[in-house]
Formats: sequence, structure tokens, C-alpha cells
Amino acid sequence: MRTGFQHELDQLEADLQEEGEIVLRSLRGALNALESQDVELADEVIAFDDEVDDRYHGLEKRIEQLLARQTPVATDLRLVLAVLHSNMHLERIGDQCVTIAKLTKLTSHLETKRSLIEGFEEMGWRAEEMLRVAMEGFANRDVVAARSLSDLDELIDRGNRSITKQVLALAGEPGLQEWGMRMIVVSRCLERIGDNAVDIGEQTEYLVTGDFQEFTDASHPEGRAL
Amino acid sequence: MTGEDEMEIAQAEQPTVRLGGVEAAQPAESETTVATLARPIFEVSKLSVDYGTHRALADVTMDINEKSVTAFIGPSGCGKSTFIRCFNRMNDLIPSAHVSGRVDYHGQDLYAPAVEPVEVRKLVGMVFQKPNPFPKSIYDNVAFGPRVLRMKDGLDDRVEQALRSAALWDEVKDRLKTNALSLSGGQQQRLCIARCLAVEPDVILMDEPASALDPISTSAIEDLMHQLKTDYTIVIVTHNMQQAARVADMTAFFSVDVGEDGQRTGVLVEYAETQKIFTTPSDSRTEGYVTGRFG
Repeated sequence: MRTGFQHELDQLEADLQEEGEIVLRSLRGALNALESQDVELADEVIAFDDEVDDRYHGLEKRIEQLLARQTPVATDLRLVLAVLHSNMHLERIGDQCVTIAKLTKLTSHLETKRSLIEGFEEMGWRAEEMLRVAMEGFANRDVVAARSLSDLDELIDRGNRSITKQVLALAGEPGLQEWGMRMIVVSRCLERIGDNAVDIGEQTEYLVTGDFQEFTDASHPEGRAL
Repeated sequence: MTGEDEMEIAQAEQPTVRLGGVEAAQPAESETTVATLARPIFEVSKLSVDYGTHRALADVTMDINEKSVTAFIGPSGCGKSTFIRCFNRMNDLIPSAHVSGRVDYHGQDLYAPAVEPVEVRKLVGMVFQKPNPFPKSIYDNVAFGPRVLRMKDGLDDRVEQALRSAALWDEVKDRLKTNALSLSGGQQQRLCIARCLAVEPDVILMDEPASALDPISTSAIEDLMHQLKTDYTIVIVTHNMQQAARVADMTAFFSVDVGEDGQRTGVLVEYAETQKIFTTPSDSRTEGYVTGRFG
């Protein structure tokens, strides 16, 4: 038994899960700041991204060393590669949270519309749920849970479409237009977080089966990959 | 990646603009494997080997592909060296050994009574773990086989060609009359490969050919295998799994079954493309071995 190596693999995965928890905190912070136009909280979210980045770089470095020294194969190789990719997707989610926080600061002085904010609440908790399902699915090697992410993603996509329509309807309200434009980007950020959660689900399937395939294929929307 | 906006765009209109110059990709030929493309040179069927009353290897059925590298891996005592010796009837030299089952070579039963083992060993050469040159000159080592087999025409050319094919010519061409034992270990092993090539074999069996060599010499032997498989079929036994991963097209994993009476018998567990063995092995025993958790 390569006990040292196994310990390193376990640690790699524990660190990925910890990074997932930290990104969830960042997402919750970004959503709360957005909802209450809380500039201080938005600043905290922006600063907190250093925590995500530290973990991202730490995992990258350790994976590089593990590949060089241990030459993992079979399940071990798939685990290392799946952690490598999921690490990147988590870091991207962290970046989306920063973008939401920056847009919150940029629009803190502007008038808002309650119905849109409520739409973001729904998209936000859906994004949180997707991230949780993605990370638990990875930990439990649960392909069914991983695949369910593409259905959850459809719901968040609907939210995005709804926000776009509502912003377009603000055309007659000049005081809300700048805020509305910024909110289109916020909506896009949340939608992308859903996509990143799906990407992590795809890594879970690769880890379990050895096959990588996109759950949904944006360039061939008529035929789902699954 | 699922892009919501991209999906809406794609649903809205079918692409009509060509980006130009991009050929339609061929469909992935995941089913067209090395195994299905290559022709078998050996077809092994229900092969078992006994040493006296001890069954060393049981019931192996597999094909060896022509002009490719096939690696046998597995823990000590799994029968992989016993198995490789069945391909040139080396086990005939061990009095207590008995081979049952069938090995076809180009469709011909290798163990048929009319088959001459010496003739088999000319066509199916072997390189051993420890370089074993004769205490003679470099030239005489390579010329030995052709002389014994009365292939004496153009002997100088034959020796040069064999040394060139074994990637040794440039290092020894000015000292062909020097004693072969003055060469380094890695050079001696390449000399043994040249000696094997000089009699124009069809197949080269290698039993741990690099395990006594330093990394540079190992790398030279591995490069050589890549070159030689264009013209020869190579079968290699190795303890070094990364070596199998580097050089082999197909890999067979052997393991040991321990019977109720404590007898240890080698069995073939999994045989597949090397890439599959090292990324997604089908059998948990293979997985355990290649990841270092068992064996």
C-alpha cells in the first residue's frame, strides 16, 4: 500500500471540499450584499476572494508535485485530473462573486426594483443549491446527482431569461435603466455559476466512469449530450 | 459548458457562415482499437504450464498482435516469465515443464510434433534480463547466430545491419574486434538485441530487458523498441509499470491465484490497450496493482 500517496490524495480532495465551502460563503456574502446594497459587505466579499485564490493556487501546486513524484494512474489519475479541473471551476465561481460584489458597489446609490431583487434571490439560492449538489456529488461519487445538475441549470437559465425580460421592460423608467443594465451582468454571473456547477458534475462523471462528456452541448442544443 | 446565451442564439438561427478551411472532423473511432486493427501473430488458447505437479500458469487465452509491442505485467510468481517462454518453446528446456493448450504462430500449431524448436527460436528470438554476451569480440557475438545457421553470405553487412538496427553501430563501428565484455551494461544489452536481430527473426521476446540498466540505457532500449516494432513483433515482460505504459500498445496483467492447498498459480486477469489498463482498468485487481495498492 502506498499509504503516503493515499494520504496526499485524501488531503487533495479535502482541500477541494474546503475550497467549495469557502466559495459558498463568498456567494452568500455577494447575494446578501446585492440584496441590501451593502457596500461594506461587498468590500468584504472582494477581499475574501484572496482566500479562494490561495486555495486554488495551493491545490494547483500540490497537483503539479503529485503528478511529478507519484505518477498516478487509473482511478488515482482520474481523481487528480478531476480535482485539477474542479479547482478551476470553483475559482471561477469565486470570480463571479467578486463581479457581483463590484456591481453592487457600483449601483449602491441607484434606485432598485423589488421584483428584480426577488428574482436574484431565487437565482442565488438555486446557484447555492447547485454548488452544494456538485460538491456532494463529487465527494460521494454520485453520478445521478451530478447529472441532475443539468436539470437544475435549466431552472437558473429560466431565471436569467426572466431577468432579461424584466430589464427590457424598464425602458419606460429612465431612473432604473442604469441599474437594470448592471443587473443584466449580475444575472449573467449567477447563470455562469450554474454552468460551473454543471462542469464540476461532468468531472464527477469522468472520475467515476472514465468518460468525459458535456451534459448539455451549447453548440448543439437540439440534441442533448446525454 | 452550457452557455445560456449561446443556447438562445443557437436556437434562434442555424449557422450559415463558414469559418473556412476547417475540415469536418472524422467521427471518433473509439471502437477502432489497436486490438481490432492489428493482425494476431500468436493465438493462445487455454494454455497452461505445469512444473511437475505444480500448475504455474492456468488457462490463458489471448492474441498477440503483429508488429506492435505487447507487455506482460504482474507481481512476482504470476507466471508472466513462464508465459513468455511459451512463445519460443524455451520451456522445453526445463525437464519437468509441461505445456498444455495451444499456441498458434501465423496459424500454425507451435507445439505440433513436426515443429523443430531450434527453428522456432530462430524466428522468435529472446533477450534476457541480464545482458549475456559471449566472451568474444563484438563482431563475433553478432555473427554467431548467422554462422551457426549457415547464413554466411554477406556476413559483414549482416553484422553491420543488425548493429545499426540495435542503435549500437555508431558506438562500436571502430572497435568491432574488441571483447564484448568491455561494453557498458546498456551497450551489452543492445548487443544482445543485435545478436537476436542478426538471424532475421520475426518476433523478439524480452524478459525484463532493462531492469539491470541505468535510466539512460533504459531509455535507449525503450526508444529502440519503438523503432523495432515497425518491422518486428515485440513481447516484453516488465516489473516496471511505467515502462509498460511508455512502450506497449497492449498490456496484459497477470496475477496469482492461491489455491486451498496453498499452491500459487498465475492467471491472466485483464488484457487490453495499454491506455485502458492505466486509465480505466476493468478489473479491480488490475486497478489495485497499477495504482500500487496490491501486489
